[in-house]
Amino acid sequence: MLEVKNLHVKLAEEDKLILNGLSLSVPKGEVHAMMGPNGSGKSTLAYVLAGRNGYEVTEGDILWEGESILGLEPDERAARGVFLAFQYPMEIPGVSGLVFLRTAMNALRKKRGEKELNTAEFMRLVRERAERLGIDVEMLKRPVNVGFSGGEKKRAEVLQMTLLEPSLCVLDETDSGLDIDAVRIVADGVNALRSKERAMLLITHYQRLLNYIVPDRVHVLAGGRIQKSGDKELAIELEKSGYAEFQSKAA
Amino acid sequence: MNVAVQKTKAERAIGEHFATVNGRLAEASWAKSLRSDAFAHFQAFGLPHRRIEQWKYTDLRERLKEAYPPPLRAFAAASQVDIERALGPLAAIKAYRLVFLDGSFSAALSDAEPLAQWAEFVTLAAVLRGEGAGVRERLAVRGFNAAGAVRALNLAFMSDGAVFTVRPEARVDRPVMLVFARVADTPTAITTRNIVRVGGGAALSLIEVHVALPGASPGGQENAATDLLLQRGANVRHVKCLPAGADGVHLSNTDAELGESASLRSLQMTLSGALVRNELAISFKGKGAKLDASGAMLAAGSQHLDTTLFVDHEAPAGVSRELYKSVLSGRARAVFQGKIIVHPGAQKTDGKQMAQGLMLSPEAEFDSKPELEIYADDVACGHGSTCAEIDPDLVFYCRSRGIPENEARALLVRSFIAEAVEKVEEEPVREALMTLAEGWLQQRTS
Repeated sequence: MLEVKNLHVKLAEEDKLILNGLSLSVPKGEVHAMMGPNGSGKSTLAYVLAGRNGYEVTEGDILWEGESILGLEPDERAARGVFLAFQYPMEIPGVSGLVFLRTAMNALRKKRGEKELNTAEFMRLVRERAERLGIDVEMLKRPVNVGFSGGEKKRAEVLQMTLLEPSLCVLDETDSGLDIDAVRIVADGVNALRSKERAMLLITHYQRLLNYIVPDRVHVLAGGRIQKSGDKELAIELEKSGYAEFQSKAA
Repeated sequence: MNVAVQKTKAERAIGEHFATVNGRLAEASWAKSLRSDAFAHFQAFGLPHRRIEQWKYTDLRERLKEAYPPPLRAFAAASQVDIERALGPLAAIKAYRLVFLDGSFSAALSDAEPLAQWAEFVTLAAVLRGEGAGVRERLAVRGFNAAGAVRALNLAFMSDGAVFTVRPEARVDRPVMLVFARVADTPTAITTRNIVRVGGGAALSLIEVHVALPGASPGGQENAATDLLLQRGANVRHVKCLPAGADGVHLSNTDAELGESASLRSLQMTLSGALVRNELAISFKGKGAKLDASGAMLAAGSQHLDTTLFVDHEAPAGVSRELYKSVLSGRARAVFQGKIIVHPGAQKTDGKQMAQGLMLSPEAEFDSKPELEIYADDVACGHGSTCAEIDPDLVFYCRSRGIPENEARALLVRSFIAEAVEKVEEEPVREALMTLAEGWLQQRTS
């Protein structure tokens, strides 16, 4: 289970708190949606979960499977099963997608005490999973995300997630910039990963994605803390009423 | 204006070495007078220094404290095993090797015979003794000035090199690898000159490697020049590589002439040398020629690596692309000077140049001076230069996928350099070069 307890976060070089007492529990087997207006702290939550530099936790804790992960480096968190699908996936010129995937998969396997994959095993896995996401393996021979469309980048993120087999998936605005067909493909990929061994946190501004990935719980984040939680109906409500109510509350 | 300047210790030593060597050589009279003329030019200007524009960042008068004597060729001996070891990963490339030990051709270590199917091969030493008259016109003192001392010294001291002409339409089925190996255990100054002509429609892959053999003095000096003359439609891929292992002075000139529709792909890869200057002068002589030039410099400690490039578009519709990348750690310094000149009448020229420095240390330095001179009105030209540290966002991205920090940094440096190395089309060559880069990285980023 992911337990975020009374989390207070600020940027390292500023005083203003971005997260201001956020508490959240996502048990394994569940998918939670975190919705909120721009600037509510959604992406900060995603980055702090993954361990990005530049943020300072001034109060509170993040527990994953009962242990605090705040002191862990991003790669150590990844080894514990934490995965962040980026809102803006990075381009890495000069490193082919396949090399990147294999480096990451083997680094994780090494840390988890598993045997590294040989080329044949690796390629078989990649082919199989890429096909399901409608990704041409030829595309993975190109440098990571370079020259990819928005939709291709998001699909590539979901492919990474599928191959790295994390137990905590955090998806930051995975639907942004996607047309409806791409949303469907990405959602199918995410739904295929739903399992009782895995907790998922979907961060999104719009309700649209939740038509395809039906969440167990929906939370509204505004002003750095959760203002309201409910079931999937809450997302539909929000689509009608907007975030105005919560923004005034937070202010 | 002639200002009498006190000669430096190195300049005086060069004078003494010239007197000694010139008396020793049994060469054709034209060669002797060529050397004397070239040396007179050098004497007139001396070593270039920072007040000469092209040498502003690489002050040879200041930096060249000593001038070593040329090697005594009779003593150079080496085995095939020594060569393989010095070549490291490059030894795996299936190539016709032409090996020069301390600047003299070694027939025993070379594969000159199979080359005869496609090319006429002769050594420069033989040319200087009077054979292979066809190349004499290339060996002339041309337009020297205060910036041309290294060229003048090359003519004055050149001991040997590969001179060959690939026949029209011939496609040499393997790369030709020129191996310049340092053998002597005392520091010497090796001077070589290659002249490579590639006939119309012919194709050649040329790999030039400068290494120090096991036990050789690591701190010598080298002056290496290569002429690449591409006739109409010729296709040449040239790699010049200084693998790790030498920490002396390496000064080089690569001069290329591109005939109509000729295509040259060039990579300079430098991993060693205390002071390195790679000067390239590439002229578009015929219309519609193509140049794809790149560089991968990996420097640590107090290495100083200078790339100075002149691209002359003298004919219309030429396409030039340059991508020079330097990875700098410690107090290393890279210099990039790149000048694209579009001459009057060279319409429809398409030239783009990029120089990038990746700083692994706050004490490293990257000096970049891209220049464009355009005298035609219908052209598309551009240049750019960047200098940055490893992007922390990219490091985070890699780490969030489980890749440890050291590995992530190494992967990103590798990716930076790979963009230049990947321009090499032949996979075995590209892989061998990347293996060299990996070796460098493993020492520096772990």
